[in-house]
Amino acid sequence: MFTVIEYAPLLGRGALVTISVAVLSLVLATGLGVLGAAAKLSKRGLWRSVGMGYTTIVRGIPDLVLILLIYFGGQRLVNDIGSTLGFDYIEVSKFWAGVISIGFIYGAYLSETFRGAYLTVPRGQAEAAQALGMKTIATLWKVLVPQILRFALPGYSNVWMVLVKSTAVVSVIGLSDLVGLADKAGKSTRQQFWFYLAVLLAYLFITIISEHLLKRLDKRVNRGIPA
Amino acid sequence: MKRISAIAAATAALFAGQAIAADLNICVEGAYPPFSETTSSGDIVGFDIDIANALCAEMGKSCEMVQSDWDGIIPALLEHKCDAIIASMSITEDRMKVIDFTNKYYNTPARFIGAKDAGLTDTPEGLKGKVVGVQRGTIHQDFMESEFPDVELKLYGTQDEAYLDLQAGRIDAVMADSVAMDEGFLKTDNGKGFAFFGKGYSIPKYHGEGAGIGIRKGEEDLKKAFNAAIDKIRASGQYKKINDKYFNVDIYGG
Repeated sequence: MFTVIEYAPLLGRGALVTISVAVLSLVLATGLGVLGAAAKLSKRGLWRSVGMGYTTIVRGIPDLVLILLIYFGGQRLVNDIGSTLGFDYIEVSKFWAGVISIGFIYGAYLSETFRGAYLTVPRGQAEAAQALGMKTIATLWKVLVPQILRFALPGYSNVWMVLVKSTAVVSVIGLSDLVGLADKAGKSTRQQFWFYLAVLLAYLFITIISEHLLKRLDKRVNRGIPA
Repeated sequence: MKRISAIAAATAALFAGQAIAADLNICVEGAYPPFSETTSSGDIVGFDIDIANALCAEMGKSCEMVQSDWDGIIPALLEHKCDAIIASMSITEDRMKVIDFTNKYYNTPARFIGAKDAGLTDTPEGLKGKVVGVQRGTIHQDFMESEFPDVELKLYGTQDEAYLDLQAGRIDAVMADSVAMDEGFLKTDNGKGFAFFGKGYSIPKYHGEGAGIGIRKGEEDLKKAFNAAIDKIRASGQYKKINDKYFNVDIYGG
């Protein structure tokens, strides 16, 4: 147990990597989620099939497979392109491979969250805004988005909670995140139990803090609505 | 146009990791003490790393250790994330289908242990009438049955049960991997009063080829350079110095 305390700074660095991967993935996933939802709601058949393809394929494959594919497969692609063009070896970084894989996966889940939230807002709201002479942008920003946020937040919070924990898969590509470092330290000191217990508590700490913040955010987007 | 190329450059910079400055990048693992372990400052140290550095110095090349997960260590080699694996990887036929190996750089020998004062020897006569414990279904069982057919064997499900019976006096000796027994028994409180006897056995037929340095197929020059360097550090005493820092036995094997 005291060994874990000795390794605490190292585990702290790992936790920082875990949080950075999670936050950056969420940013990417949010962007992809908005695009995905817009594509699926589009009037054009082509966009709808693109959005459909994205959510169907990505939600159907395991995180682990995708991350291995992007990190090792992506490296092979870069190597092949590089050698054709005569470049030197270009390294695909572990960190960004992790962020891109996780962002790409959870973007598909968020597409569905955002699409559902958009559809929940009654059509009459947009029509009423237009009848009052509001422009499209103003309608979207002042009338629809505040309501979409309200409906999307519970699903969004859920995706964040799952996403934080799924960052653990980045340790397979050798990125020194919380799980990867704790695994190595645990095996090195032959005290894996204590290290995994520390990891468990660290994740629990991150999710409890998130839950608290999300609750406050929920209050904020629901202001003016009687409970 | 300018903006597009700036974005392209920024994207490339994001994807690119550290510039590769060293002559050789070596994949190491960091979760297999005392060969390779992670310290509390995050460095990887151990026998494998010391050997890697000694080999690099012998070859006159600068080397950088690349931390890698065991599951991803062969793909990392194949996709040029490193040029060699020095991670206690056993040379096996299955792995030889995908990568190539240098000669072994160690093959922990199998040895007998017994009570310090029993005066046992590792000959068929010396073990006559004695009972030797081995773990069931292991290479050590095959070895004993073929090389010491007249010695009575007692089979155990785990290595620890064999140690318990040795302490209880139900058996006279245990045959297993020397480093595993040294770390797992002799160096512990339970192992007081017991010691190795006889020589170390590493016969490829039973004990495998040992651990080699993994390299990509077709890199014959690198393979030759590593093999020559292994022979040189064996001859110069550099290997022994590193060996003795970690082990009581010569783990290079016979």
